[in-house]
Amino acid sequence: MSPTSPTPARAAASFRALALPAALLALGLFFTLRSPEFLSARNLSMLAIEVSITAVLALGMFLIILPGHIDLSAGSGVGLIGGLSAVLIFEYGWPAPVALLIGLVAAAGIWLGMGSIIVKERVPAFIITLGGLLVFRGLHWLVIHNATIPVSRGGETNIFSSLTTYYIPPTAGYVLAALVVLVLAVAGWRKSRLPGADGEKIFLQTFLAGQLILLFVLICNAYRGVPLPALVLAVVTFVIHTLTRQTPFGRYLYAIGGNEEAAVVSGVPVAKVSIGAFLIMGIIVAITGFLQTAYAGASTTTVGTLMELDAVAACVIGGTSLKGGRGTVFGVLMGALIMAALLNGMTLLAVSPEAKYIARGGVLALAVWADVRLSRR
Amino acid sequence: MPPVLSAENLVKRFPGVIALKGVSFDLLPGEMHALCGENGAGKSTLIKTLSGLHPAGSYEGEIRVEGRVVAFANSKDAEHAGIGVISQELALVPEMTVAENIFLGNEPRRAGGWFIDWEKISLESKRLLDRFGLNIPPDAVVTDLGIGPRQLVEIAKALSKDTRILILDEPTAALTEQEVDVLLDMLRDLKKRGMALIYISHKLDEVFAIADRITVLRDGQSIITLETARTTKNEVIRHMVGRPIEDLFPRRAGRSGAVKLSVENLSVSENGKPRLEDITLQARAGEVLGIGGLMGAGRSELLMHLFGAFGARTGGQATLDGEALGPGQTPTESIRRGLVLVSEDRKRFGLVLDLSIGFNMALSSIEDVARGPGVLGLINEAEETRRNAESFDSLRVKAPGLDTAVGTLSGGNQQKVVLGKALRTNPKVIFLDEPTRGIDVGAKLEVYELINRLTDAGQAVVLVSSELPELMGMSDRIVMLAEGCIGGVFTRAEATQEKLLAAAMGGELQKV
Repeated sequence: MSPTSPTPARAAASFRALALPAALLALGLFFTLRSPEFLSARNLSMLAIEVSITAVLALGMFLIILPGHIDLSAGSGVGLIGGLSAVLIFEYGWPAPVALLIGLVAAAGIWLGMGSIIVKERVPAFIITLGGLLVFRGLHWLVIHNATIPVSRGGETNIFSSLTTYYIPPTAGYVLAALVVLVLAVAGWRKSRLPGADGEKIFLQTFLAGQLILLFVLICNAYRGVPLPALVLAVVTFVIHTLTRQTPFGRYLYAIGGNEEAAVVSGVPVAKVSIGAFLIMGIIVAITGFLQTAYAGASTTTVGTLMELDAVAACVIGGTSLKGGRGTVFGVLMGALIMAALLNGMTLLAVSPEAKYIARGGVLALAVWADVRLSRR
Repeated sequence: MPPVLSAENLVKRFPGVIALKGVSFDLLPGEMHALCGENGAGKSTLIKTLSGLHPAGSYEGEIRVEGRVVAFANSKDAEHAGIGVISQELALVPEMTVAENIFLGNEPRRAGGWFIDWEKISLESKRLLDRFGLNIPPDAVVTDLGIGPRQLVEIAKALSKDTRILILDEPTAALTEQEVDVLLDMLRDLKKRGMALIYISHKLDEVFAIADRITVLRDGQSIITLETARTTKNEVIRHMVGRPIEDLFPRRAGRSGAVKLSVENLSVSENGKPRLEDITLQARAGEVLGIGGLMGAGRSELLMHLFGAFGARTGGQATLDGEALGPGQTPTESIRRGLVLVSEDRKRFGLVLDLSIGFNMALSSIEDVARGPGVLGLINEAEETRRNAESFDSLRVKAPGLDTAVGTLSGGNQQKVVLGKALRTNPKVIFLDEPTRGIDVGAKLEVYELINRLTDAGQAVVLVSSELPELMGMSDRIVMLAEGCIGGVFTRAEATQEKLLAAAMGGELQKV
């Protein structure tokens, strides 16, 4: 068998893989020139937290979009689940871990229910989750009775409040980074031993990833250390990447999105897999809800607003097809980075909120237009 | 008289396949010219080239309309040149009325072009339909019409556009006997009015009843043009096949063993409409069971139902290896139990076209190379790649590598990928629904050889085919379906084209 030859699609894919880091670099350069503060350790640490929250939700959204669905209710869900756990702690005095667990189970249950209706009853996800968007927002406001509910009582620290205020001590950060790099190296080594693998490319990829991780820890340690949400993102990324790339579950998601009828005839358990994706989305909505509410310090009526669109935007900018069947975890991470860096940079430059909306919308439309142009054969 | 349409030495290449290797023919004014050839001979490609679907520049050779060389960039250009096509897949919008469909994209305007002239649409379409004595109300919604009337509406649509050359691709494939008569009368009438027609059909009776001349295509080449009055069906068939039938179908009969699949008095309905009634049949290990019948007889529906992807069972039972098969089992369960289906529509039901050969080949059996709980196990990629390479080599897929997207392959290679995917599930019973449709002769032979290897290995093959020579050439036993019922059962020795056709047409014709 001959090694793979370049095809137009492949060339477009590799161009896309390079275009995203290039766009990100250009964005970073622009903001740094306008405001040197952008590259400060403090701002980069903040950015890391913001990216992590956006990216975690986007990775969940990725699992929903891959088989060709969409989840418009994610943002409202983030607000609702964060608010629910906050109320249990602040008003009922429940221990934080129990309150978080209840939020997690509730989200998993709700998304399992939505997924079952969408998949088994064949109601479009757009409609069910649009309903969810409104219902969850109403429930959220009901639960917090339109008030501001802090995530801890009397300003004490608990596991909920520390989610975005805890930083991993520098030494532990280095140890962790070394461990991650080691895992990457082993994975890369095993991958390069597969027949037909491009060892050089894998080595370069692994090497670059290792460098970036070390650089990231170095920068974070210059401030207070690696923020906890970055660790959460690392774990979620690992899980989603493994799921989509290394399990039959992931293969099936791509197959369903690519051609659902062929997937059925090929014996893919379409319903089980699609509902499973929604179940995982529920868990991820809960995690994002905890992070985002903790980052705001309290549950208010605006927590989570429009986050579903950021998540969809991150996926799409990263090359995920809304029709399903195409996309990568790396692309989604890049998309989330671009969306979060854009917002963070504009905030630094004191751009007015109205201009921020316009810029984010413009970037999204532009990115998708470029992607459609590129993938047209 | 100069020809109204002529093709000179057309060559059309696809990745991996040359579909036309030099086709020449001409169409005279007021002539009915039939194109005959086996599936894959290049008829559809020729029509697509003549009608602008394969744009100028994508083929070699010349197309002339009334003596002038034309270069169609799209089908609209061909339409403007007066060429209309009635294709196998009807291009009507089912939710619209007959009149709306006839003038779709071509609506007469009023008030300076701002508004659609509905009155004119309704009058004109009525006039058009009346002209041919068609008893179809212009305001009927297309969904409410049968296949036959739809076909006629499609022709009326082509006529509304000042068409001078009409190409009909298998127009009678789905029609009843009476509908065919109405259609042929209409075509004769058109011919009398000076229309030139190209007629493509597998049914030689029709061709001989209506055509003036016949051009035979084989393996992408125009072999010969014959005058209908001075030739015979046998001569046409001889040119179409070009070699003795035995070489085409290298079936090695094996030893048939135990019954693998048994169906008894099976009845199936879909959305309340009965589709299959009282079907009884058996497939044995080491045997090819052929299933034939006209379009709409329920061949694919039978396979899809047994596989668990079609209809609701209203009676009877089926067993696989002695254990009940359905009702209500999913395709996932069928595959796990050793029953696999290769669909007739590989693009729709067989492949994820944007993804790679490797992805597709492994899809049905990916859990076999994963360690851990079911869908959440970890895939052993080394083992997966090894098995993919094995399938790739043993099926002789012609492609740059396992990473090539399936959508870029030729029909024959796509079919090999679908077959590879099915065989990797280690099936006991394999349903092959039109496995050689739209693939070239070389790939067909490889599929037949594969069928031989499968039965040699003791697997049971159920082969559905609409080509009688293929059905007779490859099956050990043949079941003909007629309108959802069994029309007849034949052994390989008993079967003749005439008997099979009579059985496919149901009881009324069996006397003939």
